[in-house]
Amino acid sequence: MLTHAELGLKIAEYLAGKWQQPVLLIHLEKIFGGASRETYRIELKVSGEPRSVIVRRDPATSLIDTERELEYRAYEAVCATDIPVPEPLFLENDPHVLERPFSVMQAVNGCETDAGILNAEQKQQIGSQKYELLGRLVNKDPIALGFHRFMTVPELNHCAERELDYWEHVIDTDEIHPQPIVRAAVRWLRRNMPTPPTKLAIVHGDFRTGNFLFKPASGIKAVLDWEMCHLGDPLEDLAWSFDPLWNWGEPGYAGRLITHDKAIALWEKSSGLKVNLQAFRWWRIFAAVKGIAIWISSSEDFKNGQSKDSILAMAGWLMTDRQNQILLDYLSPHSSHQLSGITQ
Amino acid sequence: MIPYTDDALRMLSQRLMQQTVPELPSAYSQSDALLIGMLMNAIADEVAHGIDRRCKDIEQLKLLLTKGAIYYEAGEIVDRELLNLSLSEVNLLRDQLIRALEALHTCVEQSDLPGADVLSVEIWQYYEDMVARHRITAAG
Repeated sequence: MLTHAELGLKIAEYLAGKWQQPVLLIHLEKIFGGASRETYRIELKVSGEPRSVIVRRDPATSLIDTERELEYRAYEAVCATDIPVPEPLFLENDPHVLERPFSVMQAVNGCETDAGILNAEQKQQIGSQKYELLGRLVNKDPIALGFHRFMTVPELNHCAERELDYWEHVIDTDEIHPQPIVRAAVRWLRRNMPTPPTKLAIVHGDFRTGNFLFKPASGIKAVLDWEMCHLGDPLEDLAWSFDPLWNWGEPGYAGRLITHDKAIALWEKSSGLKVNLQAFRWWRIFAAVKGIAIWISSSEDFKNGQSKDSILAMAGWLMTDRQNQILLDYLSPHSSHQLSGITQ
Repeated sequence: MIPYTDDALRMLSQRLMQQTVPELPSAYSQSDALLIGMLMNAIADEVAHGIDRRCKDIEQLKLLLTKGAIYYEAGEIVDRELLNLSLSEVNLLRDQLIRALEALHTCVEQSDLPGADVLSVEIWQYYEDMVARHRITAAG
């Protein structure tokens, strides 16, 4: 197994070959929390000039069973638009270079991910930008951007069913202990399928506070983590971003930034679409089901996989606990907060 | 010998988070160790109360399955007694009963028989009780 020092040197050697320039390793740091890929920030000197890159290497085990190729191609496609993403540089599928496949991105320097550092005014600014950006993403034509070359293009009337089938299968496959609440939620979703969307959208798949880089004074600089990207219903990302898991302790604020009403108004203005309330309720409940599926998967990885990463244990236990509370809040007849509208 | 395993775990977690973490060389290992310390606290809580919580689940599950026998026949599992109080034995019976409850709930949702709605509400009450009972306490 490569040590960190060896890993850094091998990356520098790899990049020197790619760029045909001398590359000197200055510093390598593993970033905590990258549970779907091992993520490293690497400072280099390339022909004497400082340069920073991000390397994302396949882990021995993963929180999300994702396809690196799909994620990298999504970065490439989106990079050509006005949605800010880190520039993808190389995708290396040969496992012999760094023991496992990896990708290299241009680092976006001087940014933050934790919204907790923002003051009230900055939260308004960045929250507004977040939903304006999401509306713009929905507006993109995925076919014109070439998404059909590397991912499935679903029929409009199959978007919801396809996603539900996928995540129910994850639960079926990875469940260690039975999870009766999410099973009840899946049955509810199947009994109440939403009306199909009017258009097919690029769905980021994990669009939430924490998955974009920002500068407090000047806003969002890059949207990250496209590993669950797919084509589907425009409401899916909006609903996922409203999941109470991302605003724990601050109900009613989308990702702890702006109110749900304001987020929807900005999204509608930017996308040119209207939120169908009934369909949106479905997608919000689906978001909690998808969340539990991911946390169940991380439990399974922790139990049976090789890495024993503390993030996997935390996600599989604490997040499942919270997501169950969220589903009860949405669906239990005893709940005083049943999800009847869109702004709760 | 550590007779009070939960306390021992909490003390070790405290030592890890307060004394070991500041000595670790990288931000990555510090964050990792802090999270491990937090998880050790949650595990301490499980060590202290986990069996009791599962036994309460089992008691409630058996009552619901008995009450729901006209909608779904769970079979001998409802009468099965725990062979011992080891975690694996308690988990096994609880898991089997929960799977039976999932089947019962599905049948109840599809049933036109009188009382189905009432039983469904009671099953949801069990879910509420279960989540409240198993809520994670990770504070040191």
